[in-house]
Amino acid sequence: MSKVQEVAKAVEMGKSKIVGGLTQEALDEGTSATEVLNAMIDAMAVVGEKFKNNEIFVPEMLVAARAMKKGVEVLKPHLASGAAGQAGKVIIGTVAGDLHDIGKNLVAMMIESAGFEVIDLGVDVPTEKFLEALKSNPDTKIVALSALLTTTMPAMKATVEALNGLENRGSIKVMVGGAPITQAFADEIGADAYTADAASAAQKAKELAA
Amino acid sequence: MAEYTVFFPREKKQISVEEGTNLLEAQIQAGLHPNAPCGGQGKCGKCLVRVLRPGQEAQVVKACCEKVTGDVTVETLEKEELHVLTEGVAQLGGLSPELRRLHLQLPSRRDHWELSEWERLCLALEEAGVPAEDGTVAEETVDGVAEPGSGARKPDLRVARLLARAGGNRDGELTVVMSGSRVLDLWEGAGGDRRLLAAAFDIGTTSIAGYLLDVESGEQLATDSAMNPQVSFGADVIQRADYALAGGLEELSRCVRREIDAMLGRLCEKGGARREDVYQVSLVGNSCMHHLFLGLLPESLVHAPYQPVFREAIRIPADSVGIHAGEGAEMLWLPLIAGFVGADTVGGLLATRLGEEEPLTLLIDIGTNGELVLGNRDRRIACSTAAGPALEGAKISCGMRGADGAIEHVQVENGQLRCQVIGGGRAVGICGSGLIDAIASLLEVGALDESGRLEGNGQQDGQPVYYLTQPDAEGPGVSLSQRDIREVQLAKGAIAAGIHLLAERLEVRLEDVERVYLAGAFGTYLNPESACRIGLIPGELRGRLQAVGNAAGEGAKQVVRQREAMERAQKLAAETEFLELASLPQFQDAFVDELEFPEGL
Repeated sequence: MSKVQEVAKAVEMGKSKIVGGLTQEALDEGTSATEVLNAMIDAMAVVGEKFKNNEIFVPEMLVAARAMKKGVEVLKPHLASGAAGQAGKVIIGTVAGDLHDIGKNLVAMMIESAGFEVIDLGVDVPTEKFLEALKSNPDTKIVALSALLTTTMPAMKATVEALNGLENRGSIKVMVGGAPITQAFADEIGADAYTADAASAAQKAKELAA
Repeated sequence: MAEYTVFFPREKKQISVEEGTNLLEAQIQAGLHPNAPCGGQGKCGKCLVRVLRPGQEAQVVKACCEKVTGDVTVETLEKEELHVLTEGVAQLGGLSPELRRLHLQLPSRRDHWELSEWERLCLALEEAGVPAEDGTVAEETVDGVAEPGSGARKPDLRVARLLARAGGNRDGELTVVMSGSRVLDLWEGAGGDRRLLAAAFDIGTTSIAGYLLDVESGEQLATDSAMNPQVSFGADVIQRADYALAGGLEELSRCVRREIDAMLGRLCEKGGARREDVYQVSLVGNSCMHHLFLGLLPESLVHAPYQPVFREAIRIPADSVGIHAGEGAEMLWLPLIAGFVGADTVGGLLATRLGEEEPLTLLIDIGTNGELVLGNRDRRIACSTAAGPALEGAKISCGMRGADGAIEHVQVENGQLRCQVIGGGRAVGICGSGLIDAIASLLEVGALDESGRLEGNGQQDGQPVYYLTQPDAEGPGVSLSQRDIREVQLAKGAIAAGIHLLAERLEVRLEDVERVYLAGAFGTYLNPESACRIGLIPGELRGRLQAVGNAAGEGAKQVVRQREAMERAQKLAAETEFLELASLPQFQDAFVDELEFPEGL
């Protein structure tokens, strides 16, 4: 197995303790940072696919995502700026009143792995903050909203409504997700897309941005 | 709209409902307490009923998804007998209740012709050494009226009415029922066979435990338990809050108050006591149960930063919340710590004296929500983790509550798994303690690796599963799936991460924690060795675990047994810091760290 393959395998298996070292070794062998990054992205895609097929579950996704993060930390100084994020900009955040971010972080990670530049606004994000971020990033392609509590679904609705009132609404896509969210709810509040899991979210983001 | 009749033969109840009403709503309207963990969304499949329609074969359906379209007979399925933990740690401390009876001889009318009846009572109280209520002295004294002493009180119309009836023209002998310096009731003469009783309740999200005590003898007269009737509106606090916010607050308040009132009746019946002798009712429960009981819209509880409407202890007339007890009876709610750390945790602190002793102690109360407190008398930090549903069996394919037929313990014997079933009969599911044991056993026999990958001994729907009991002609057998294992990993990861982060915030090492108290039913039946084996509780704490039973309920009892307890509770609550895990940047890392199972020893 080549070093790059080892890195990919380690990401897939969620071996975060060894990913950093392997990544460094791959670089030392002369593999380009972009090549290593692509191998990790492919590994995450495999993880996402297995998740969709119910072969693996949330814990493995989280473990793999963290392994990837460790690898990317090593790669960062070697990556030419702009190498990542070619697919476009995505603004993501958990809606107002909700402090939960593990699901949102997972989606951010998968979307980033799919080649997007992700602007993560964090948790408990009021509508105005989403609007401000959009204003300072007019080239944003997608706004993604997360809610874990049923009680914060109204906040998601309010934010989507505000986004729907924007003049340039036609040039952005709105994605929603989180445990209590359903396709029916997404339709009702006028979001462009709902996905049930992080892997599908990344795939959907690619479709929407294409 | 057309109305149809729904008949429940098991309960011998019949009601008519509007066409289109679903069978879950119909059961609620009929006063039954159906279990609906998902709140009637059709997701959990736990509200099954058997439907009989004229000319059709009987059908088992999800009650929440089945609408009434004509007259129908609905057989509810066998209700699990719920095992609710009502036992607690041995009572600590003595008996010094707020409630007491005071024999008074009212000063004679002849000698004190100038005194009103109220003033006569005040004078008698003063002579008996009772300080004026909350130090208040009558503000206005009208000229010509004898100067009441420092014992003067503002007239209380309720007590005055009793006085007018009881103080009458006899020899002026009275028995006053006091709570601290407050007059609750007046008995004529010596009070005959009247007693001073108090009730304590622990309102859990799923079940309620109740106790009846004689506060003069300290004797516990009866215990009782019941399902929280709010289970019909969802299994967890978020679903309940959701229902309340959607206009269901009054309904949720009413049903739990009614249940408490009914339980009080049963407690009195069991204990051979009378309701009118119950003068104090103390309550503990999580913050959401507290808000719903008191009729407070839990809006602030479920929106960041997740704060309660108020957190202080309160004392209100019991009859103001629909509890039928003694004349002037008081209801006490213990204080809250935060939006997700409630009066039940404060009760646990009271009962275990965690906040009043030197040794560094960890209190773990895993119910439908998991609360943790780490510290000692100098400093304490509490946090809450959303861990319960999996550990209570709600998200597990064969999961069930601790009732007859549940596998409660699993151990390895000669390389084989051996299951112990509640009631000794056939296993139909697995409860929390059995689940933890089963996973520890699977790790031991090598059917599970550290990452949580399951090597099944069978298949179900094309997925590997591990059969704990084999399927046969009588039933499908009890098994664990890969998804079940993952659910437990998420739950145990959250609790273990919470423990690590509390220690980090308190700047202590886990090795320095001297005692670990496990409260609640789960903590009582949990095998400590298994809990450490799977990493639910970090291995550093091995050997220091001790079950303390229903500590929350014990705390509720203490406030009626000891007059200082309420003040202690207030101080403990106010001085316990709260750590919001969700907003901690290091939570995710700690959580992912704890997802794996520890390597074997």
